[in-house]
This record gives sequence, C-alpha cells and structure tokens, in this order.
Amino acid sequence: MDFLIPLAEVTDDGLKSIALGVGAGLGSIGAGIGVGSIFAAEIESVARQPEMKDELQSIRWLGFALTEAVAFYTFIFGLIAFFL
Amino acid sequence: MGQIWKMMKTWQKVLAGFLIYVAVLMIMFLIFGSDGRNDEFAPQNEFLLDPWVPISIGGIDFSINKAVFYLALTSVLTIGAMVYIANRMQREPNRVQMAVELSYDLVRDNITRGNLQDQKLATRWFPFLATLFFFIWFSNMLGYVPLPTNTEHTVDIFGIAVPTFAIYATTANIAIPLVLALAVTVIYHTEGIRAKGFFPYFKSWLPGGLEDMNPIAKGGIFMIEAISHLVRPISLSVRLFANILAGHLLILFMGGGLAVILGLALLGTATFPAALIFFLFEIGLVATLQAFIFATLTAIYIGGATAESH
Repeated sequence: MDFLIPLAEVTDDGLKSIALGVGAGLGSIGAGIGVGSIFAAEIESVARQPEMKDELQSIRWLGFALTEAVAFYTFIFGLIAFFL
Repeated sequence: MGQIWKMMKTWQKVLAGFLIYVAVLMIMFLIFGSDGRNDEFAPQNEFLLDPWVPISIGGIDFSINKAVFYLALTSVLTIGAMVYIANRMQREPNRVQMAVELSYDLVRDNITRGNLQDQKLATRWFPFLATLFFFIWFSNMLGYVPLPTNTEHTVDIFGIAVPTFAIYATTANIAIPLVLALAVTVIYHTEGIRAKGFFPYFKSWLPGGLEDMNPIAKGGIFMIEAISHLVRPISLSVRLFANILAGHLLILFMGGGLAVILGLALLGTATFPAALIFFLFEIGLVATLQAFIFATLTAIYIGGATAESH
C-alpha cells in the first residue's frame, strides 16, 4: 500500500485541503436544498396551472442559476483561502 | 448477449454495470500499476498564463497570452458567425438559422421585453443585451473545444513543435466577467440618472411606503440599498467566473488531474466517467444558462433603475 503514503502525511496543505473540502461541502448543502425547493415549487405550480408552464420556465432557470451560484461562491472562496 | 440483457431485472443490470466498472478498474490497475507521483506534468497549469509575446508598458504586463488569444477568437467568432448568418438569411431556414432565430427570439422577447417595460428602452438596449448574451455564450462554448494552445508541452510534427491540445475559457478568468459587470453597473446607473434625474434616482432606491418614517431610519435603509448596489457587480462577475472555473476544475480533476497530482493511477480510471458527465452537463446546461442569467440580470438592473416605482 505504498501508494497511500502521500495521502497520510499531516501537513499544512493537507489541513487546508480538509478545510476546503469541509467548507465547500457545507456550502453545497445549502445550495442543494435551495435548488431542490425551486424545482419542487415549479412542479407544484405547473401541476396547479399547466397553462403557466412557459412563463415559469424562464423564472425557474433564473432561480436555479442564482441559487446554484451560492455553491460556487463557497467553492471559489475556499480555493482563494487554499492558495493564499 | 442481447437476450441475456433483456432477461435481466433492473437491479441485476445495475449490479452488472457496477461489477464491470470495478473489473475495468482492477484490470487497468493490474496492467498499468502506479508509478507514483509525476512532477513533470502539472495539469493545473491549464490556468497558468504563459506570455507568448511579452509586452510591458510602464511596468504593467500587457503580454499576449492564452487568455488574449481566446478573447480575440471569441470576438471574431461572435461577430463573424452572426454577420454571416444574418447575410444569408433564407425563407426556408436550415438548422443553424433556426437555432440562431430561436436564440434571437429568446433575447428579444424573454430577456429584453420581459424585463424592460418601456418600449423605447427595450429598443435601445436590445443590441447590448444580445451582444452580451452571444459573447458570453460563444466564450463559454469555446472553452469546451480543445484547441492547440498548450505551449508548455509540444509534439514534433515534421520538425515543427506543435502545441498540444488544451481547453481554456476566457470567462474562467476573473478579468473578463469583471469588466463586463463593471460596464453593466455604469450603464444601469447612467440610465437611471438619465430617466429620473440625479437626486430623484438615488431617492428612488428607497422602497415605497416609507413616507412617514423618520430620516435616521430612512438613512439606514438607504445604506442597506447602497450596499446591495455595490455588491451587484461583484456577484454578477463572480457568478459567471465561478461557474465556469468550477466546471473546468471539475473536468480537469475528474479527467485525470487528481490521478497525476496524487500519483494514484487507479483514481484516474475511477473518476473518468464523472469527467464525461460533468463535460456534458457544462455544455448542455451551464454554458447557455450562465449567458442567459448574465443578460437577464443586466436587463433586470436596467429595468429596475428606470422603473417609476421601486
């Protein structure tokens, strides 16, 4: 199992990696819940009023992208902390 | 083989697929083993900008590098493709013209007219919004086309050192989204001031229904609104930049970058399917969606700055 040795060193870089992983992971929990609730709300409203489908589509993608970006904010700020 | 596949139940198919995946992993590991770390090849250099033509004016680096090349290529492609298709419009459109007309309709009806109620304003800003949309779309899509831009590693073809293929996107560099976002910020403030006048514009930042409030609380709310206006260019640029950068990082790491950095050959085989999935996800959804979001938010900002009530 020689190839696992580089994974087992405790270094500053290793600790930073753990911080990045935990931070970005926690950030994506929130974004995941948000994206899920957007699609849930959209399905519910289309089920109630199918004639609104076209109008809701652009709103759905807007909400999806705005919420999804939050996950990337945490990821990017984690990377900034990792490399600085 | 096909008959056996038809007779199997779903869970058996899933199990068989998983077993094949593990078997392929094992075979690859047995054949190639693991040579440990490879320090000569750094896949994360995708984001390193080597100066191709060093130019320095007054101590500021103006070198021509990969990002400049991609930016020029994107601009040429955007203008060239649009002008070419506009010039050979036909009554019976082919597929490309159909796609361009659909996206034109999307920008005109959905993005511009949907968010700018004033007809004159919509006519005035439609060219800008369409340019933003198509420029960002071409820039994102060009980022997933491998081009011979990796000058760090070259291949000898008949004695000429030809750069190897690499992917890179201009929007994965904070500079380009930031410039676009700053331009948008200047434009929507200017448009708001032009529509309402200097002081009435800043007064219109306050939400309606606050007439009875005392001035100090009003000032507090004004501060909150001012901060939200200051954050807009940051969130606008970081959203685009982070989405594209994260997509490229995921493709890079899943497609073998992790295996090289950690020196674990087995990991490269294990993560490669994920790289393909992310690649398709980025091409199919994120590239178009981010262009759409950028243009839509620009339209919303301009519409909000010029609307009568907040």
